[in-house]
Amino acid sequence: MITSIAWKNIWRNKTRSLIVITAVTIGVFAGIFSMAAINSSVVQRIDAAVNEELSHIQVNSKDFRRSSDIQNVISNYPGVVSALESTAGVTQVTGRIIIRGIASTAAKSSGVEINGIDVEKEREMFTLFRKLIPGTGSFFETDSKFNTVFIGEKLAKELNIIRYIITPEAISSLREEGLPEDFIKKVETLRGERFTSDKKFEKACEKILEPDEIQKYRWKIKEAAWSYREGSKIILTFLDIDNNQTGAAFRVSGIFRTNNDMFESLSLFVPIDELRQLTGMEEGTFHRVIARLENDDITNDITPAIREKLPDYEVLNWKEIQPDLAMITDFINQIYAVFMVLILAALAFGIVNTMLMAVLERTRELGMLMAIGMNRRKIFIMIMLESIFLSITGGFAGMAVSEAVIAITGKTGINLMKYSEGMEAMGYSAHLFPTIDAQFFFTTTILIILTGIVSAIYPARKALKLNPVEALRGE
Amino acid sequence: MAVVEINNVFKSYHDTEVEVKAINGVTLSFEKGDFAVIVGPSGSGKTTLLNLVGGLDQPTGGEILIAGHRLSELKPSELIDFRMDHVGFVFQSYNLIPVLTASENVGFIMNLQKWPKEKRMERTNELLTSVGLADRHRSRPSQLSGGQQQRVAVARALATHPEFILADEPTANLDSKSAESLLDIMEKLNHEEGMTFIFSTHDVRVMKRAHRVITLEDGKVVSDDVRE
Repeated sequence: MITSIAWKNIWRNKTRSLIVITAVTIGVFAGIFSMAAINSSVVQRIDAAVNEELSHIQVNSKDFRRSSDIQNVISNYPGVVSALESTAGVTQVTGRIIIRGIASTAAKSSGVEINGIDVEKEREMFTLFRKLIPGTGSFFETDSKFNTVFIGEKLAKELNIIRYIITPEAISSLREEGLPEDFIKKVETLRGERFTSDKKFEKACEKILEPDEIQKYRWKIKEAAWSYREGSKIILTFLDIDNNQTGAAFRVSGIFRTNNDMFESLSLFVPIDELRQLTGMEEGTFHRVIARLENDDITNDITPAIREKLPDYEVLNWKEIQPDLAMITDFINQIYAVFMVLILAALAFGIVNTMLMAVLERTRELGMLMAIGMNRRKIFIMIMLESIFLSITGGFAGMAVSEAVIAITGKTGINLMKYSEGMEAMGYSAHLFPTIDAQFFFTTTILIILTGIVSAIYPARKALKLNPVEALRGE
Repeated sequence: MAVVEINNVFKSYHDTEVEVKAINGVTLSFEKGDFAVIVGPSGSGKTTLLNLVGGLDQPTGGEILIAGHRLSELKPSELIDFRMDHVGFVFQSYNLIPVLTASENVGFIMNLQKWPKEKRMERTNELLTSVGLADRHRSRPSQLSGGQQQRVAVARALATHPEFILADEPTANLDSKSAESLLDIMEKLNHEEGMTFIFSTHDVRVMKRAHRVITLEDGKVVSDDVRE
């Protein structure tokens, strides 16, 4: 009965209750959704780091990371592989040759880290091959008599392999996108010109377009004018096993695009046999062994076990290689805590205010209830329940709205292309796919209920302090 | 045996620097079946006396016995249960629970006393029929007239067979017709069931029907007229 009265009581003043419920709904939605968006950014970054760049565990000789000496190979590769494969939780293992070198074209050159990889194995273990930009080739799928290399878009731009040209096709694609004719006419004035860098192309655009047009259509023009000639060649120069300078021309097998500019400009990949041949490294020699685990969460537990098995090697997990990633996860948790404290505090004040009003408005009624025999415990419970119902209703509505919006934006994504330059420079995607786990929802529900309970205590105590005689006299 | 015994009761307030004696040495008793009114000018202590008899307030002197229980010996929590079990209240402004229907309001105290549902329903129907509102059992207070709400309040007060009913200005907010109708019901319950009613009122219609009229002035009983 008390429960039923409490539920009915919150609908006595529908407008007020709906305002509180709406406020709770918006607060919970804002909290959950922004966390989902931030979380997605971190999850995407960690996924990319683990699946495209680092893997879970890296093993190399103790000085290798510091010196990058080509001769500093893993002394007992089969032993390392066997130690890793025998560790529970390790799913796949592969070896890489890693050497520093210079990539150059006729126009430019850039320092790079050349990764010699087992193409088939890496395709199984990593998802980098999926990052191939359509139309730029493949992930080492073409038979070629040339050496082949898989490079990042950023490096390709730095080496002037990628250019911007306003071709008739580019104009047509802008027209197909439905862009304004006035704008297209202005773009047409650049027809036929070649721009060898982002900066040059942007400067040219600034001259012919209004700032708001650039702001609005910047990415569309870039996309349309983006031009790459398949099979371009670059020269890689590096030291061989005898520390003699060597090098060769490599045909670009494909160009990948990730959200990490640094990775795109520094790392390139060549089949291990080609690199072995050019460096003179013996069969079975590797600089680094890379292992994948069943999932990210077991990283911290498994690392010490591997370290114990391989005391003569440097064993690092992805969190240790890129501590900023581990730190950002903690940072996000702290942001979440601050967010939730703010939201719950706002929720608590709203509920305290509403419930105090409800108690003060119903002074006489509460006095009557005490007079006819409703004890203080039941009155306390009734007020508490009213508050809990308000917060739970708003909380669940907020969660339902969040779930729906996260489900939709999780598929469509949230496009932050405007900020892509800054975000991608830090390795974060500008296209967010909000995601949140069930435990977050559960925790949020519990916190909302607790807030409802805590915020009801003061109004409920206020009700308990009422003297029935004075309350009955009250207006 | 008297249902209510008030022995030399005092009630003083210290709201200001001056002590106000709201009840000043009142001694009264009410027998089962009394239909008594307490009258007097505003501030004479009628409502205070009713609050003391109903266990809502504590006297500063003297003692009150209800059905043999000394109210001063009961703890606050026991007083709440005592009121629920022994006293029925009818208030000037009805004081029904607005979110409950007429039958839920009548059944409210039975619910607090954990009566079985069937017994509760039976008693609720019986009471609503006796106050002439059987057909309005599903109506909320806002859907009832003042007179009808006060009849529901009377039914609620009677629900758990209290020793007596305290009615503080029950007709003050009612028109003549509703007031007469309510008094008819109360009189009938008094005659037929021997229910004890103690009113505080200014209303001459109530005074006319009372069997006993007690006049208070400055917290003292100045007359106690019993009519045949």
